[in-house]
Amino acid sequence: MSAYPEVVAKIAGDYLERVKSQLRLVPAHEQVEFLREIESHLYESYQQMPGEDDVARILAVLRNFGEPAEVVSDRLPGAMVRSGTRRNLPLYIMGGIFIALFGLPLGSAGFGVLVGLLAALAGILVAYYAVAGSFLLVGAVTMLLGLIRIILPQLFDRLVALGYIQLGGPVGEFLDHFSPGYQGILIILFASLFAGAGWGMLWVGKYMLRGLRFLFSLTFDWMRRFAQGARRKLRRTDREAPQLGKASFVKQ
Amino acid sequence: MEYQDEGRDRRITQLRKGVLELAVMGVLYDERHYGYSLVRVLSESGSISLKEGTIYPILARLDRDGLVRSEWVESAQGPPRKYYALTAAGRQLFDALSQELDVLVSLVQQKWKAPEQSERAGKKLVVRKG
Repeated sequence: MSAYPEVVAKIAGDYLERVKSQLRLVPAHEQVEFLREIESHLYESYQQMPGEDDVARILAVLRNFGEPAEVVSDRLPGAMVRSGTRRNLPLYIMGGIFIALFGLPLGSAGFGVLVGLLAALAGILVAYYAVAGSFLLVGAVTMLLGLIRIILPQLFDRLVALGYIQLGGPVGEFLDHFSPGYQGILIILFASLFAGAGWGMLWVGKYMLRGLRFLFSLTFDWMRRFAQGARRKLRRTDREAPQLGKASFVKQ
Repeated sequence: MEYQDEGRDRRITQLRKGVLELAVMGVLYDERHYGYSLVRVLSESGSISLKEGTIYPILARLDRDGLVRSEWVESAQGPPRKYYALTAAGRQLFDALSQELDVLVSLVQQKWKAPEQSERAGKKLVVRKG
């Protein structure tokens, strides 16, 4: 570089520093050799560049040469792999052991808990709808019995006598105070309570279902974004890795 | 229209990148060169305007694959130069690749206009494949 005018040497040196900063993970001897080669090229190109203005000449040379990232682009991957395995192998092995011992079991447990929670919530919802359905069914059947008591009281008595309808205890004693018609109305009113409760549960269940669906989609969305983030991070690490270190060639 | 221009430029760049490596091998087939002289030869003989620095990733790739060998030689005009020459493996690969390129170029240069011509060309290709 000594053959350059001072200002040109500074500009060329700055460019080489930029190239060097892109080569941080490349082994030192490869960095030195590559920067020597670039330096040689820039020098010769500068000597051949026509013009009176030194600064304009070196700037034209650098413009023709291209950006440092373009120049080192293909040199990095292989070198990175080599230098990475050589320098950080013990660290990678330790990391692998830690992940195998703690990360995977904890991660699997967390995933298991999440899946279990979602399954439990789904189970609760199914049970809830089963109860609501039972209430509606009981209400409908009891309503039918009430109607039978009003319209066909003999049939009702026959069903009681055959044991299909069990109306003993305090309920039976209470109903005995009324005529068959009133008994039927009371039974229908009682059945309406069941049917109403079942209907109400279905109505509330609609919101529960929405809430649960929201919870499921939230969980799956979170998992999807987590996976995307991890993938993006890995890609970014691959791209940014070249800018992590510095060599010492230009200062020499 | 703007998109079409961009697409065309991108494709031209891709095409050049693919062929440039072969051109570099071709230049280094019989003569050794250092980076700067290689660029000069390529830009003068091929009238391609290329960023000079893009030659180094290609040389690095060829070097990594054992297709070129290199040596530093002192220069009276300035800093030492790193000369590259194709290895025997590099020559072999160049021969194979240039044959492939010939086939591709003749394929591209076919006139696919008239149905009869294209039919004939298709037959030609089949014969070549066999």
